[in-house]
Amino acid sequence: MKASCRRLTLILLASVAATATFGLAQNAEAGGQVTIGVTETIASYNPYADSISMGYAIWCQVYGCLGFYDYEKGDYVGILVERWEVDKADKNVWTFHLKRGVKRQNDGVEFTSADVIHSVNRINNDPQSKQKQNISPIKDISAVDKYTVKIVTKEPTASLLEYIFDRVIITAKDLYDKHGAREVDRKFPLGWGPYKLKELVIGQRIVLEKDSSHPDAKPKNPDTLIFSIMREAEQRVTALINNEIQIAQFIPPHLAERVSRATNAELLSTSSVEIMFLAMSPKYKPWDNLKLRQAVCYAIDRDLIIKNVLKAQADRLDGPIGPGQYGYDPEYTKKNLTIAYDPAKARELVKASGYNNEPVYLDAPVGRYINDKEVTEAMVPMLNAVGINARLRTPEWATLWADVQKGKTPFYYMGRGSVVDPSVALSQYFETNGSPRIGISDPEIDRTLAAERVAFDPAERKKALNIAFKAIEDAAPGCFMWRHHMLYGLSKTIVHKPNAAGRIFGTEIVVK
Amino acid sequence: MLRYLLGRIIATIPVVVLISLLVFLLIHAAPGDPADLLLSDEASAADIADARRRWGLDQPIYVQYLRFLANIASADLGTSFKYSDPVIGLIGERLPATIELAIASLLIAILIGIPLGVWAGAKPNSWADNLGSVLGFFGISMPSFWLGIMLILIVSGYFNWLPSSGRSTYGVGQGSDFYVIQSLLTGNLKTAWDGIKYIIMPAIALGTGMMGLVMRVTRSSVLEIISEDYVRTARAKGLDERTVLWRHVLRNALVPVITVVGLELGTLLSGSIIVETVFAWPGSGSLLIAAIQSRDYPLITGTVLTYTIAFVVINFAIDMLYALIDPRIRFG
Repeated sequence: MKASCRRLTLILLASVAATATFGLAQNAEAGGQVTIGVTETIASYNPYADSISMGYAIWCQVYGCLGFYDYEKGDYVGILVERWEVDKADKNVWTFHLKRGVKRQNDGVEFTSADVIHSVNRINNDPQSKQKQNISPIKDISAVDKYTVKIVTKEPTASLLEYIFDRVIITAKDLYDKHGAREVDRKFPLGWGPYKLKELVIGQRIVLEKDSSHPDAKPKNPDTLIFSIMREAEQRVTALINNEIQIAQFIPPHLAERVSRATNAELLSTSSVEIMFLAMSPKYKPWDNLKLRQAVCYAIDRDLIIKNVLKAQADRLDGPIGPGQYGYDPEYTKKNLTIAYDPAKARELVKASGYNNEPVYLDAPVGRYINDKEVTEAMVPMLNAVGINARLRTPEWATLWADVQKGKTPFYYMGRGSVVDPSVALSQYFETNGSPRIGISDPEIDRTLAAERVAFDPAERKKALNIAFKAIEDAAPGCFMWRHHMLYGLSKTIVHKPNAAGRIFGTEIVVK
Repeated sequence: MLRYLLGRIIATIPVVVLISLLVFLLIHAAPGDPADLLLSDEASAADIADARRRWGLDQPIYVQYLRFLANIASADLGTSFKYSDPVIGLIGERLPATIELAIASLLIAILIGIPLGVWAGAKPNSWADNLGSVLGFFGISMPSFWLGIMLILIVSGYFNWLPSSGRSTYGVGQGSDFYVIQSLLTGNLKTAWDGIKYIIMPAIALGTGMMGLVMRVTRSSVLEIISEDYVRTARAKGLDERTVLWRHVLRNALVPVITVVGLELGTLLSGSIIVETVFAWPGSGSLLIAAIQSRDYPLITGTVLTYTIAFVVINFAIDMLYALIDPRIRFG
């Protein structure tokens, strides 16, 4: 009896070990399934109840959106919109011509202007909506006919597409009217995108399934797209190497080599549209002194930090934006916006400013941006070397962000994401009454930013934007640092070219 | 007994109210505003003010607290700012995953810790005792997040034996409710096995600390009991050593072990907050972390209150267990 018991235990243990050894590793690629390890989760079934870029991208490929910014073309491209124009006589009036014959998943109901109007109204009126900022320039929206929508803005807004194109998710009016908000989001998430919502386990995964009848869905695009929530970078890399996932989002520089060494994966890098900068609020002493602010910009050796701290995984910013962002002019930037590292000049400016060596605190987040603490640790001795008595503080993100939002932080390192067209971001940080985050009030910045908003001709607008960049750099309320590279780990079984916005569309993935 | 039971339940009410007040005050005193954190970067001051009004944050704090208490009285913990859903439903969706993880960790701790402790206690200063002590100290001193990361790196990364994160494989099961337990009860072995693959590593990471403690307490308890007169009597009666050890010594040695297990059950729940984050385990712990990061006041307060009630219930259950283990203990 005793011996048989032992034998049974041994057999059980052996079978568990054998199964563990040979039977557990999974390959998620069978049947064109592609799993993406992502850092964020959609917080609700309601497509308007959250405002994160991954959420917009997922809902855009399920429900549909008006268009997106094509980084290769450097211009906006329509998805549900065919073309658009601004009224020549009244720059507040925009007309959007919708694509015709776009059929809804499952029931084939056609997409019309009523759905666009419904979506804008729902963003405005839904008590769960966190996306009102996306429609803030809109004064009125109406249907000209079944396929034409007229939008009237509160004031001329040349950057309107930046607000609404991939940020207004188009949902069905008829389904909403029939089922109500809660039912329609949970039970009838049907739209005009190339993928259907198959499963949403909040905090765990989002599963999309290809709608093969959609004109944008190609046979080589994955049949199933799974966004699996993996907040830890280590986890995403391990899962990629194990073939649990096929795309690992946001690989930090210190794990890049591990992905490069893997035989089943490759490391891809793309610029981002998040601009990193140092902000100095003129509301506080000694940052009310222009010369001292300018000295900071000359004192930081950005190239050295990029090379040694960021492991070359960033591009230096000369001016607020870089290649691929709307309005970037390499010639103008080189001639007018480049601030070279010049500690001698920085020292002169510090001296000329009359700065009396009082301590200034540089506030930086920890873990919010790539190597943020290390980067700011490297900045402090550079500032000290030119005579600025800088010290580093690293408050918790929620505390820092709350203070920045209220304009209570005099000197800080921060990033501003989703800057495709810089108009909104620049106004928010540098225009009088834009937001209290920096609190500068400079008539020249105000004038140039107002001018770019009413310049509707693309060439004129790019010129006007660059003049505004120059005005901001001259007033130096901030020093523009760099744009991080976004590193992706990609399985060799798929082809995908990551873009600067971090958007992952199933139709842009090809399964080999 | 009934009187004792009622007394315990009534005594719980002030504890819960006090905890709710403390959590409410502390979370509101912490810097950071939910509207700032949950709305987009582009949100204007008017958007932020509108959100604050909708969430009742423009009201004085005592009004907010009284409203919260009134809601509790009608079994409503409010609506989450982040998830836009009732807090009670959100916790209800996530709690089973945490409970299942806690049960798996408890099993690991008990099934390894007690035999190891008995073994070490029965043979003091032997190699078995030394080995058990090393394992026990390893368990106690190893931080669960570190052990978790090591497990991911070695078991998943190097050997590729187990999935590195999550709770279920898409297409096999949804990974909701009591995924493994339900699958086992319904005889769905494929789904159960899928759940077991995912739960093994987080359960080890979470349960190892408790295993070490259970092993150490069992060992010292066995050492103490083994020299008692009734043990000598049992041996003198001619009982074999196994019966003496497992029936007479262990049963009496279990009372302090149960106390430790009871106290540690609370630690398991709070420890799961970190382990769930490391393994992307979709339980109430990771929900709490997300709530804290976004200053989702109703969700934070609701989750902490749930944990408080769980602590109280566990302690109560442990008190009841004493009576079962040791007939000399009676409540009244």
